[in-house]
Formats: sequence, structure tokens, C-alpha cells
Amino acid sequence: MSDLNKTGDQPVDPRRATILLALIGAVFAVYAFHLFDLQIRRGVEYRAMASTIARQTTTIPAQRGEIFDRNVSSPLVLNIDSFAVDLVPAELPAALRDTVFQKLAVVLGQPVDELRSKVPPAYYHLYQPIELAQAVEYGTVTTLAERADEFPGVAWRAEPKRSYAVSGSFSHILGYVGDITREELKVLYNKGYKTGDLVGKAGVEKQYDALLRGKDGREYSVVDVRGRAVTRSNRAVDQPVMGSNLVLSIDRRMQELAEDALGERLGSVVVLKPATGEVLALVSYPSYDPNLFIGTGGNNVYAALLNDGRNPLINRAIQSSYPPASTFKAIMTTAILEEESVSPDKEVLCEGQISYGERVWRCWNVHPGHGKVDLEEALEQSCDIYFWVVGRDNLGIERIVAYASEFGFGTASGIDLPGEVDGFIPTPQWKERRFHEKWLAGDTMNVSIGQGFTLATPLQVANSYAMIVNDGVIYRPHVLKEVRDASTGAVVSRVEPEAIARSRTDPAVYAEVRGALRGVITEGTARYAINTKAVEVAGKTGTAEVGLPDRWHSWLASWAPYDAENPEDVIVVVVMVEASNPWEWWATYATNIIHQGWFAGQSYDEAVAALGMGWIAKPSASRVE
Amino acid sequence: MAISGRSLADIDWWILAPAIFLMGAGVLFIYSSGVTSEGLVVSNEWLKQLVWVATGLVLLAAVVVVDWKRWRDLAPWFYGASLAALVYTRLFGRVVNGARSWIGVGDIGVQPSEFTKIAAILMLAKYLADSRHDPDRFGRFVKAFALAAIPMAFILAQPDFGTSLVFLPIFLVMAWIGGIETRYVAFVGLLAVLTLGFAVLPLYETVIADAPSVWLSVFYEPPRSWLLIGGLAGVFALATLGFLIGRRRYYYWIAYSALLLVASLMTALVGRMVLKEYQVMRLIVFLDPSVDPRGSGWNILQSITAIGSGGFGGRGFLQGTQSHYRYLPQQSTDFIFSILSEEWGLVGGIVVFSLFFLLLARCVVLLRNLKSAYAAYVVAGVSGMIFFHFIINVGMAMGIMPITGIPLFFLSYGGSSLWTALIGVGLALAVSARRFDL
Repeated sequence: MSDLNKTGDQPVDPRRATILLALIGAVFAVYAFHLFDLQIRRGVEYRAMASTIARQTTTIPAQRGEIFDRNVSSPLVLNIDSFAVDLVPAELPAALRDTVFQKLAVVLGQPVDELRSKVPPAYYHLYQPIELAQAVEYGTVTTLAERADEFPGVAWRAEPKRSYAVSGSFSHILGYVGDITREELKVLYNKGYKTGDLVGKAGVEKQYDALLRGKDGREYSVVDVRGRAVTRSNRAVDQPVMGSNLVLSIDRRMQELAEDALGERLGSVVVLKPATGEVLALVSYPSYDPNLFIGTGGNNVYAALLNDGRNPLINRAIQSSYPPASTFKAIMTTAILEEESVSPDKEVLCEGQISYGERVWRCWNVHPGHGKVDLEEALEQSCDIYFWVVGRDNLGIERIVAYASEFGFGTASGIDLPGEVDGFIPTPQWKERRFHEKWLAGDTMNVSIGQGFTLATPLQVANSYAMIVNDGVIYRPHVLKEVRDASTGAVVSRVEPEAIARSRTDPAVYAEVRGALRGVITEGTARYAINTKAVEVAGKTGTAEVGLPDRWHSWLASWAPYDAENPEDVIVVVVMVEASNPWEWWATYATNIIHQGWFAGQSYDEAVAALGMGWIAKPSASRVE
Repeated sequence: MAISGRSLADIDWWILAPAIFLMGAGVLFIYSSGVTSEGLVVSNEWLKQLVWVATGLVLLAAVVVVDWKRWRDLAPWFYGASLAALVYTRLFGRVVNGARSWIGVGDIGVQPSEFTKIAAILMLAKYLADSRHDPDRFGRFVKAFALAAIPMAFILAQPDFGTSLVFLPIFLVMAWIGGIETRYVAFVGLLAVLTLGFAVLPLYETVIADAPSVWLSVFYEPPRSWLLIGGLAGVFALATLGFLIGRRRYYYWIAYSALLLVASLMTALVGRMVLKEYQVMRLIVFLDPSVDPRGSGWNILQSITAIGSGGFGGRGFLQGTQSHYRYLPQQSTDFIFSILSEEWGLVGGIVVFSLFFLLLARCVVLLRNLKSAYAAYVVAGVSGMIFFHFIINVGMAMGIMPITGIPLFFLSYGGSSLWTALIGVGLALAVSARRFDL
């Protein structure tokens, strides 16, 4: 072909090299001419522009969406009018500097040193506004406006402030907002975020930031090179677009009831509707008040929370995992019944303790022991010996792990809140890898009663009981119910139930397990503690060893009504009280109060009175954050 | 292979000297970019850049000292290793400005995509040289294109649009010098230009054009655009059939044009789905910066104002108002040319142009006279790379090219791009010093 032959022994066709050279030369010529055009022919024009006029844009922040509870009564989170006060240092004459700062300190109610520290001498010639104060009230701004001639260089702008109408346990669900950090910006840059944006940092605010944030508007004005506004007449405005409003599945009354029932105890409560996965309440104590981060001194509040040994920023219901203890025996019971590995009528003799391996295994009821127990009695009485023996000799670790996984243990449920942890189910392979030790029958015994390495979040325990209630289905737990248009209030989208686990276990098995769990309340360990007459409760206690002599994690996983005709009426309630609290067996009492309050339509105090628990439960008003 | 005693004289100073002068100017203006209107030095980037220059020169020396034929033999390894590094970066790299393009420890990081350019040049040169007499001319073109397209696709996935674009001119220049048929080279070049055009057309029509043209909408509005694509595909099929039966030349060119249009329309369709609106905005905003005066358009307006206000002699070093009042964004990287032009004026700008032109022209002269095809193609690739960076970056600063975030070699702050440029220059110097080797 012609291109080739003409090259001869030269590897490069000289004509092609010449054409390339000509192309390079042409581009340089065009660029040089354009540079000449910019700098010489129109240089005067640009020089004038550089020294006089530039277009500047100011952002009109979009209103962030508000957040409501499921009854859409009053917002849980709203925006309130608020202002930021700026100073353009170069517009403040040097002679007036001291007096203006003094007066500002009085008007803004801030120490004069703090104000001055925001405007160090290096900034005195800057024409860029420097923010002096945030979250300034309307009244203060009117004062500044009336006396504008006394405050040269001082300006203000509207800056809607996020206000959390409820705090306490709501904070863990709602989360809070803050300025976007450099690290967040790196990740979110391609989604259109920019420096200075407000972004959700936790909870629903973070999870649904894209829905809540809306789109900022812009206002254009003309300023000179030093940033002074030349004219205000030819302003063009792009209107901001409001963010969507969110309606949560959380029920405000239930959330407050659960919060009061838990009281000042480190722990958490999960209340959900097993039929849909809607979360009605998600309480974690201790909590925090996000309103305190927003105002002056917010960083100190946040730092104090970070340093608080009780970890108030952790949402214990989904971000902490614990040994599920005896609540796990409901899963064991399901497995034993479905696998038919042992007859449910087989009796195991509990004499309070057994020897196995090189140690003595003590049932929680050491004296006198439970005697001969079959499966149903073992669950009712929470007999450890029964589950040790059956788990070790009849079920085996592989099947226990399979059932635990099926019930959702060891995998995050995918709730629409950030930071959920996976929990953990130990396996022989894991132990070999991690400790280079063989799995022993004793390990199986530990797992059989929800101890050892098994870890579950309170939400996972709630899901596992939802599975029992639903005959083998778990719906993804969620806190968002609807997205609504901010201006019209029309429902934009609704969260539909989504099954995350479907078991093939015979529904009759679940019915039998449910009956046995009802027995726990009527005949078994929780017989006296759960005495509510408002509804028939079923559930399981749990007491987790943590290595302390007189304290244990206290669990109670339950649902009610026990035999509901309409599955929509059923709620699963899981209460978890950490061992760091004085031992009160409180999960059981809190559950009693929650069911009483919910089904009798009573507040916490009314429920406590109705149950005759005044001697043990503090009134709600005495609770502190 | 040790370098002989008289090798310093073998260095082609027409290539090295412009690079050194440009780096000197770069350090000066990186320093200037870190000075505020108060005369305070707020950034030590210029010191870091000095370190990059020094280490880059060591790298350059290392490249020159080793016989370039060793680099040829190692080319497949470099190529494979850099592809592996790109995959690793995509999975575990650090995210900067929305692209997962960095790997490194602590504050020290590199962008593997930069060094991939060098690896791709070496590999492509080796392939083109080895396949010079391959009778399957079309197959040679396809394989060569694949060698450039693979790293390009990987970098596009980071997603770093600007950096991935550089592989196109590298391929085009090397293919052209490497004797690939003109019509194939033109096909790739036209495909790139048309794809870009079709991809930005809808947003151009809505945002920038005064009156959207009904005729142009056939290129992007779904029912009509699909009809157009289908029609063109039909034309292509018929013309191909005609060419196979009738053997007429014009059938070939009809099929060629139809395929070009169909391919660019389809690629543009995919591009529009992948690119976000504001990303497309960055590509077209230079046509009328006032449509986005706060975002990308602001940068361009400020950059043009800075350059324009420089005048003939400039405002003097450290005297520019646009830069020191911080109106110019990213002064030390993307807009280094703006600050230079504001302070040194047309004189400084023309000096920079001349230095780049000298370097590139010398490279082209060198590659024309080389006896080794491989060596010539390497120099072609390096020239294409430097040329494209110059066109895009300086064009962006002057407001005649889209914003893609491509740095200006030798001048812009940043270690990875400087090292890449110096390794490229080192390769050119190496083949120049042993220019009669085969």
C-alpha cells in the first residue's frame, strides 16, 4: 500500500513528520495570536475589568426537608429563621476598629476577644466577608440594621438553622447536620456537593441527605475587584429548590414511652411491626441533644460527647452487639423442632450442674436445679443444661450456625440508618483461623445458650422474633415511611415491605415455638415480672454473662398480642439493658411497662401506676439526659 | 550499560534546556500563587515543587543512563504492571475530587494514571515497530488502538475523564508517525471529536444556544435520534454490500462515513448516560462562561481577565491582582498559565510558547532522522503527550478549550505529572544520545 512503500529504509515517512511539525506550528501560531488578541488588542478592556468589575454570586441556601413521625403531626426536625453576621474587614476604618468591636460584642452577646480572634490583623485589608457569628436571632439583626451607621463593614445574611424539636432518644434516629468535611467532599464531589455545604452526619439526616438537601439557588451581583458591590440593580436570581419532607415510621408516643421505660440505664429498646418491618421506636441511652452542636461553643459540646466514656454518640440498638444469651434459645427451639434431631418429649435431667471437659457447667438455677425437663419446660424455665446437652449431642454446631444465619444473625439487617454492625456467629473454621485452636464441644455448648463468641444487635434479636411471629419471614426494618413534597405535601414515594429472609421451616414449628414463648410469660421465668393485663405477651428473657460477679446484660425479647387476628397489630419489643447498670433485671420490667402503655393507651407514668410498679420505677420527670 | 565520558555532550540541550527553563518559571509562579495580597506567603508548594524537580531530574538521568533498548525489552512488563496498578487504584485507591485515582501512604501519594502514559507509549511503540511489515494493515491498526484504549478505559472508570483523554492524542500521533493508514487515524480522530460534540449537544442547545435548532435535535431526541441511527446503520449495511459486490471506491467512503456517524452517536449516547450534567457543563462552559458564572464559568472568566489584564509586559512578578486577591482558582495547578500571563504579560506568554515549541519541534526533527522505528515512535508518543497537555491546559486558561483538569507539564504544581514529563523528556534524550542504534 502506498503509505508504506515510499518510506524506504527510513522508519518514519518524512512527509508525515513534516505534516506533524506543521500542525504543531499552526497550533502555536493560533495560540500566540489569541494571546496577543487577549492581552494587547483587548488588554485595556480586561485591565479595566480586573480593576473595577467582576460578577459575583451568592448562594441562596435551599430549605432542607423537615422530618415527621408517622402521624405527621408536628415536625421532629424543622428549620427556623436564623442569621449569620459577617464583617468585611477592609470596610471597617482602623480608627473605629476598637469601638465597633466593643459595640458588636454587646449586641451579639459574645466576648470581645472571641470576636477579635476571628479577624486577626492579617485580615484587616481583606474585602472578603468573614463570619463573626452564626445562629443570630432576628431581633439582633434588626438592632444592627437600625444602627447600621455605627457598624461599618458589618453585614448579615439569612441562614436557615436546623432545629431539632425533640431530642433525647430521637437524636439517634434523626442524627444531625454539620459542615461538609474535606474527606466527605472527596467522596461526594461527583454528586454535586461543594465546599461549605451542610451535610447530614448521622442518622436519617445522613442516610437521606440527598432527599433532604434540595438544590441551592443563586443570586448574581456585580462587584469590583476588591469585592465591593457595585450595583444591586441587575440582580439575577435562580430560585432554590426545597428538599423533600420525610415521614418516619417512628411513632412519637411509642418512642417516648420506650425512652421513659428504659430510663437512665445504658441500653436500648427496639420496637417494630413484624408484618412490615416498620420501626416504631428505636431508643438508645445515653443520647445527646444535637441542638447544642449548632450554637456557639458547639465544638466543645461535641468534643465532650466524644470523650464521654458511656459513648452517647453510639446508637446501641444497631451499632453495638452483645451476646444474645437466653433469647437465643427460641432459635435453638425452632431448630430442634424442625430438625427433629431429638423428640420434644425427651427429658433431660437438670441437677443444677454438669461436668464436661475440664470444667463444671452450672445452670442459672444451681439449687436445686430444674429436675427433669422436656423442650417446652426447658424454654419456659430457660434451663441451660437442657440446651447444652441437646445442642452438643443432638443438634451440632453446623446446624446451629445455619439456623442462626437464617434468623438474621451475623449479617447487618440493612436498616436505613448508617453505621449498623453485623454482629457475629462463631464457626469452627473461624476459630481455627483466628486462634489456631480446634473447635471443642464446649464451644458448641456456649453457642447453644447464646454465650461465647456470639454477638447480636438488639435489632437483630428483634428481627429473629419477627421471624417467629411471621412464620418464617423477616421484613427489612426501616425508619422511613414516606417521602413527601415539601410545598404540596403530596406523597412522592412510599417504602414498601421487603423480605430479607424467608425460611423453609414448617409453619407448625413456629406455632409451637410461639406457644412455648407464651409459656415463658404465663408459666416460666417472666411469670411474675410481666403482669400486664392490657395484652397477652409472649417472649423470652435473657441474662448474659459478661465476667462480672453480680451484674449481667439483661434482655427481654417479646411480642404482643400473642395471638393477634390482624398481623398489623403485632409489635415486637426488644429491651436490652447493659451490665454496666446496677442489676435490676430491668429489661423485663421495661417490657412490661411498654406493652401496658401501648395497648392500654397510657403514658409511662400511667402505665407504671396501673401496673403497681411505683415502688421500683422512677417517675419520668426525674430523668436527665 | 554505563554512559561514556563524553555523554554530557551527547545530551540534546535543545530538548533539555527548554524543559529546565519552564520548570524554573513554574517554581517562580507556584511561589507567586502562594502569596496573598498582603504579601504573606501562605503556601510552601513551591518548596515541594523544588523537591519534585530535583527528584524528577534524577529520574530523567536514570532513564538517560540506561540503554533505551532495555526499556523496549521491558515495555510489556511496564504496561502490565501499570494496568495492575490502575486496577488496584480503582479498588483501593484514595478518592480525590471524586475520582479514585491516588495510591500512597500518608501524605505521599502518586497517581498511577500519570505513569501509565509512559508505559502505554513504550508498549505502543514496541508493537508498532514490531508490526511494521505486517501485511494485515487493518489488524495492526485495531491492535494498536486496543493497546491505547485499555488503559484509557481503566482511567475513565476512576472516573478521571481528563487524564484518560490524553491517550487519544498519544495514539493518534504515534499511529500517524508509525505509518498507520491515514483513513484509520482520521477515523479515530473524527470519532473522538464527533462523540464529544454529540455528547454535549443537548446541553449546549438548552444552555448556551440562543434558539435551539429543530434540525440538530435529530441527533439526540429519542424517537428521531433512533431513527437516524437506524437509518445510518442501514446505509452502512447497504454501502458495505455495494462495495463487496460492486467494488466501487465511493461505496467504501459512504460506508466509512455512515459507520463513523453511527459509532459516534452511539458512544455519545453512552457518554450522556455516564456523564452528569455538571460534568458536561464543564466541557462546554468555555463557549459562553456567563451561563455558569458561579461554577466553572467563574474560573474561566477570572482566568481570561487575569491573562487579558497582563498586557504586553505584565503587571510584574507578584503584582497581579487577580491572583493575589484570590480570584483565580487552582492557581498553582490548572491555572498556572493565567498567573504567569498576568504578571509577565505577552512577553512571558510568548517565551513559554517558544520554549514548548522548541522542545516539540526538536523532538519531531529528531524522530524524523532516527534509524530505529521503535525510538522514533517513542519520541512521537512523548511529543503527542506534551503537545496535548499544552493545547488543553493553555487553551482552557485562554477560554478556548474545555475544562478537563489537565495540568500544564513542567509548570503546574504536582509531582506525578512533573515526573511523567521528565521521564518522557528522558526517553527523548536517551534515544537522541544513541540515535544511530537500531
